[in-house]
Amino acid sequence: MILKRVPKIYIVILLFLVPVLIGSRYFINNKQVDFNAEVKPLINKKCISCHGGVKRQSGFSLLFRQEALAVNKSGKVAIIPGDAENSEMIKRLYLTDPEERMPYKHPPLSNDEISLLKKWINQGAKWGDHWAYVPVEETPIPSVGVGPFGLFGKPSWIKNNIDPFIYKKIKAEGLTPASIADKPTLLRRVSFDIIGMPAPEAIAKKYLQNNNEDAYEILVNELLATPQYGEKWAGLWMDMARYADTRGFEKDDSRTIWRYRDWLINAFNVDKPYNIFLTEQLAGDLLPNPTDAQYIATAFHRNTLTNDEGGTDNEEFRTAAVIDRVNTTWVSLMGTTFACVQCHSHPYDPFKHEEYYKFLALFNNTRDEDTYAEYPFLKEFHNTDSIRLFQLQDWLHKNAPSREKDLMRFIKTGQTAINSLVADQIINGALADTKWLMLRNKGEARIKDIDLTGSTLLYYKYKSWKPGGKWEIHLDSAKGPLLKNIVVENSKGDWKIATTAIPTTIGKHHLVFIYNNRQINNPDENGIQYDWLRLDNPFPKNGTPEGELAYNNFDSLLHSNNYTPTPIMLDNPSNMSRTTHIFERGNWLVKGKVVVPDVPASLGGLPAGAPKNRLGMAMWLTDKKNPLTARTIVNRIWEQLFGQGITETLEDFGTQGIAPTHEELLNYLSWQLMNTHQWSLKKMIKEMVMSATYQQDSKFNKDAITKDPYNKLYARGPRVRLSAEQIRDQALTVSGLLSNKMNGPSVYPYQPEGIWKSPYNGAKWILSTDGDQYRRALYTFWKRSAPYPSMLSFDGTSREVCAARRIRTNTPLQALNSLNDSVYIEAAQHFAKRVIKMVPQNASKQISKAYELAFNKTISPDQQKVFEKLYQTALTRYKQDSFRIEQITGNKNGDASSAALMMVTTAIINTDEFLTKN
Amino acid sequence: MSKRSNKNIIQEANLQTSHQITRKYFFKECFSGIGAMALGSMVGGCDWLGSKDRLDQFVNSNPLMAQAPHFIGKAKSVIYLHMAGAPSQLELFDYKPELLKLDGQDCPQSLLEGKKFAFIRGVPKMLGPQAIFKQRGQSGAWISDNLPHLATVADEISFLKAVQTDQFNHGPAQLLMHTGSARLGRPSIGAWATYGLGSENSNLPGFVVLTSGGNNPDAGKSVWGNGFLPSVYQGVQCRSEGDPVLFLKDPAGIDRDLRKASIDAINEANQLTYNEFKDPETIARMAQYEMAFKMQISVPDVMNINDEPAYIHEMYGTQPGTTSFANNVLLARKLVEKGVRFVQLFDWGWDSHGTDVKNAVDIGLVNKCRSIDKPITALLLDLKQRGLLDETLVVWGGEFGRTPMQENRDGKTLPFKGRDHHTEAFTTWMAGGGIKQGTSFGETDEIGYSAISGKVTAHDMQATILNQLGFDHEKLVYPFQGRSFRLTDVHGRVINEIVA
Repeated sequence: MILKRVPKIYIVILLFLVPVLIGSRYFINNKQVDFNAEVKPLINKKCISCHGGVKRQSGFSLLFRQEALAVNKSGKVAIIPGDAENSEMIKRLYLTDPEERMPYKHPPLSNDEISLLKKWINQGAKWGDHWAYVPVEETPIPSVGVGPFGLFGKPSWIKNNIDPFIYKKIKAEGLTPASIADKPTLLRRVSFDIIGMPAPEAIAKKYLQNNNEDAYEILVNELLATPQYGEKWAGLWMDMARYADTRGFEKDDSRTIWRYRDWLINAFNVDKPYNIFLTEQLAGDLLPNPTDAQYIATAFHRNTLTNDEGGTDNEEFRTAAVIDRVNTTWVSLMGTTFACVQCHSHPYDPFKHEEYYKFLALFNNTRDEDTYAEYPFLKEFHNTDSIRLFQLQDWLHKNAPSREKDLMRFIKTGQTAINSLVADQIINGALADTKWLMLRNKGEARIKDIDLTGSTLLYYKYKSWKPGGKWEIHLDSAKGPLLKNIVVENSKGDWKIATTAIPTTIGKHHLVFIYNNRQINNPDENGIQYDWLRLDNPFPKNGTPEGELAYNNFDSLLHSNNYTPTPIMLDNPSNMSRTTHIFERGNWLVKGKVVVPDVPASLGGLPAGAPKNRLGMAMWLTDKKNPLTARTIVNRIWEQLFGQGITETLEDFGTQGIAPTHEELLNYLSWQLMNTHQWSLKKMIKEMVMSATYQQDSKFNKDAITKDPYNKLYARGPRVRLSAEQIRDQALTVSGLLSNKMNGPSVYPYQPEGIWKSPYNGAKWILSTDGDQYRRALYTFWKRSAPYPSMLSFDGTSREVCAARRIRTNTPLQALNSLNDSVYIEAAQHFAKRVIKMVPQNASKQISKAYELAFNKTISPDQQKVFEKLYQTALTRYKQDSFRIEQITGNKNGDASSAALMMVTTAIINTDEFLTKN
Repeated sequence: MSKRSNKNIIQEANLQTSHQITRKYFFKECFSGIGAMALGSMVGGCDWLGSKDRLDQFVNSNPLMAQAPHFIGKAKSVIYLHMAGAPSQLELFDYKPELLKLDGQDCPQSLLEGKKFAFIRGVPKMLGPQAIFKQRGQSGAWISDNLPHLATVADEISFLKAVQTDQFNHGPAQLLMHTGSARLGRPSIGAWATYGLGSENSNLPGFVVLTSGGNNPDAGKSVWGNGFLPSVYQGVQCRSEGDPVLFLKDPAGIDRDLRKASIDAINEANQLTYNEFKDPETIARMAQYEMAFKMQISVPDVMNINDEPAYIHEMYGTQPGTTSFANNVLLARKLVEKGVRFVQLFDWGWDSHGTDVKNAVDIGLVNKCRSIDKPITALLLDLKQRGLLDETLVVWGGEFGRTPMQENRDGKTLPFKGRDHHTEAFTTWMAGGGIKQGTSFGETDEIGYSAISGKVTAHDMQATILNQLGFDHEKLVYPFQGRSFRLTDVHGRVINEIVA
């Protein structure tokens, strides 16, 4: 940096000169107009609704410079750089005829606004790049010296590099930063922020007893190392991934996808670098030799909805899922609202309509097709089948290496297979429930464009109900050459996988099925129902003893049901790949021109050598030159810690989003994440919580209320209500009920009757037992059409689409929830029991103990008084109405004093102090 | 503790807090931006730097406090009766004698080409009306014998005979009807109305949902969700079994006095927290605990129909202690009477495919009609006699219509007479709340297949409902994901033909 080499004294002299310069007319006239700060907001407000990405009245658009400088429909040029007087745009601002004067049918621009535009054009009409679309560069730390001219060291308040950015603005606004919060407050704050719940007792105790300088840093390190850390941050990510345990829409049946949740927990815990974390979720399946975990990571984008409602168009909902993947990728990973580009070019930001579909093309080639089974999924085999799998792989590796990859993929994912729901031209049959091809006697159907080259064996999964079925496959038409005549074995109504040899055939053909069964007399009776077909070749070393042995493993794995499925992403092989069209006005039925996969030009193209698929997209997204990825996650982490983002609109960094309060800090942190911290989120979090800014006391002083009620300047610590998950986890922790069990299928804690009532779905909420009812909130079964009530009342989202942030509310339903939900009543009961165990006698001491357990600090005399009064009122009442004691304590041998203490613990659980991160 | 002291504390809390809460709300919304544009859109701008004088203008704008709409609306509240599953217009309101003549004949190819149906495959047969129609009242509206009671109040109603949708599956079509979008994630119309108008009764939620028929609607709770609006605007489902509102009832072992004592203690402790931190959110929380305490009385009170006079039970056909559409209709009347802004009823079981007796258009549908006929008629009469019909908009409808063809699921003949989902024309109606009396708008062709005039969409109905409440549907917006969203998206026209 050049400035660094200039002696400070010259800077001081320069500073004295500035007012002189500002005073001169010369300086003002030659000041460069800042496009982003001055011109773009004016254009966005006054011009762009008619001359932008959506509408281009008279062929004029101000979105891109190239377009704005072009000749319009009128034959005139709106903007001539360097010549405002002759620029049609300026002329139009002065006219008197209301039909001609711009803005059309709106008040004219002010003289100041017009002269700004003129000056800008005369200076060359330069388009500036929006801050968020400029790659992150290294940002110098502001100097915030104290004393005359700032030459004498830094303020003692400053603890790390974050603080000067904050301090500078605080000072400029005439505020003073707050002092560091007391230890118990800081302990509670940093515990919720890092692990989402109160710190484990041992860690808390160690911190409170350690009076050394490094006590806080040790605490932070220990919290970051706990397994609960991964649970807290996985919970955040699940909102973005729209994670749920059901599929959505009418039936809203269950979905087994919890291994993805467990993958997240582990990824956070091992501090998987964020660039790899994203790559695996977006394109884990496309990495060389992907591991099971990398496949499971791709479930990120299998959290889209599947529609099982009878009569729905599978292609419509497949398309809807792909669109959702595009929108979610942008809004959650790149803080950009891309959804509007689905119908037209972005109204404000530099994204063209066509670019939406180029990006969509990157996602449009996956195997999932809204099937009922949610193919493709990864099977995790259990018990002996996991050993068989190992043996099979080992054998294939040694004996048939050329077939290993393909056969293992078939066994583990069932792919590549052709889903029968793609059938068309169906006669005497139907798509049963619109999900499976079903043929009756003399039924016919076609499966289009199947590449038969190199295949001599056909696998098919089907069910039938009667013997005697004959299935013919013809090529290209019902009268075309017969490929195969198959006698269908009666599966007696069960799904069955069978094989048949087929003759060698070259090229792509339509497969036309004809089904006959003389034993079926009723014309309405179903004959055969197909699930999928697969073209393959005989198993290696077929017919040899060792081949037979390996085949046995293969065959039993193929038929095994002893596995946990996780829906994953897998691409179509090249002979099945889809072409992507633009959807005119966003309507999937109105297909426009064909597009090839790519990323938007305005954010830099794909990195050199990147393939044009999801993997290439992930490489581009995690490239250090991508301006949005690091900024988005840094901003999101900041929001988790401080209650609001540096850019408040976490979901929109575009020109219509809210500008960052501390743009340089955001740039600095983004640079840190990618370079200094090598994409380590733990290191990023640590840097933030080690700042003085974070550690401040959160009390509002008078200045705060008048000058900065929303703490945009951070002259005090964050104070926000806890999240739905944190409120539950905290109550279970202080009561001692919390189960530390991690991972596994989702659980069913107490929920009132009658919440689940989906049509055509008999699923019931059955209360979990053996401690599973006391698991952390993130393990609660999440049903999209009826989410867990306390999640909803404390601002959880329904997880139907990506929720880039939660909006906090404060409602009476929340009060009722934490007062009366059985979860909280039980927590209060156990909390009271825990206190009595520690302090058997003396109500005063019990109350102060309860408070201490909740907050790790000593109760104030005033608070003690409040709770003692409640205790006495309750004690008197329970002595009178002793029949209520068992009702409230849940204990036959309970006495009035334990009931009274339970009223106190209920009250503590409901205090603002308890529900808020102070 | 006496009732008096309760009241005093509540009043005190309200007085003491309203200033600060609302100030806080304004601060928050203006400074945080999320509501800045929203408020701005409704009240004409919100200064980013927030001058003190301007803040005082908004002292009364807590999120649920009653607010003025864009103009003076004729309706103060809405009762929306949704027949989930989609009732057959051809057996209720859209009389097609020509269709009777074609009964049993093959459906002409011209009606099938290029069309998609949920279940009809191949060539279905035409199915004549399975009910007897008569003209009713002065207006001469055609109403079938399936709804004999409703026939007597025909002159109160404006029918929309040519409603269209582009969604032929229940879930998406219901979403479109209630959220303006067939995909999940948008706020429902009740949430929009509450967001725009607030609530007139601070002891009750502004937007209440009641369901009957054994299932929730196909689209789940999203049809009364808040979408991207703050969750305070979501519909509160009041239930007829268990707690009317979730977690309303105190646990056994805590009586009212003890509950009072515990809320007092919580709020005294909160006052101490406030004294220390001076965070206005703490004051807001104290008010919400007081409100919760009040709701524990006011909600069961309004949800209790036992004390209604016998003639009311007779009129509505209600039976206390059961879950029924009739009970829900009576509750809807009680709720709007108490100032609840939007009451949404869903009655499940109208999907008349003909796959079994319950959904046969000539059997199951008749029974469903019987269960709604008396209560809906009673609702219109009861609102009228109370002078509430003028200010209460009643809307009736399903999510789409049903085909003039008999359903032949998977190309087979079904055991009962039924009709498939139909998007091109169906009937809904509105009454009260500034809607014309005794009119009909829109026409279908002679077999009820296509709309030929007066076509309207879900967005048009939504625009009309908002219009009756005093909103320009194009201006009631909320910024989300970079743009201003509105209920009607980029569509919608107020159906002035039925507005009085």
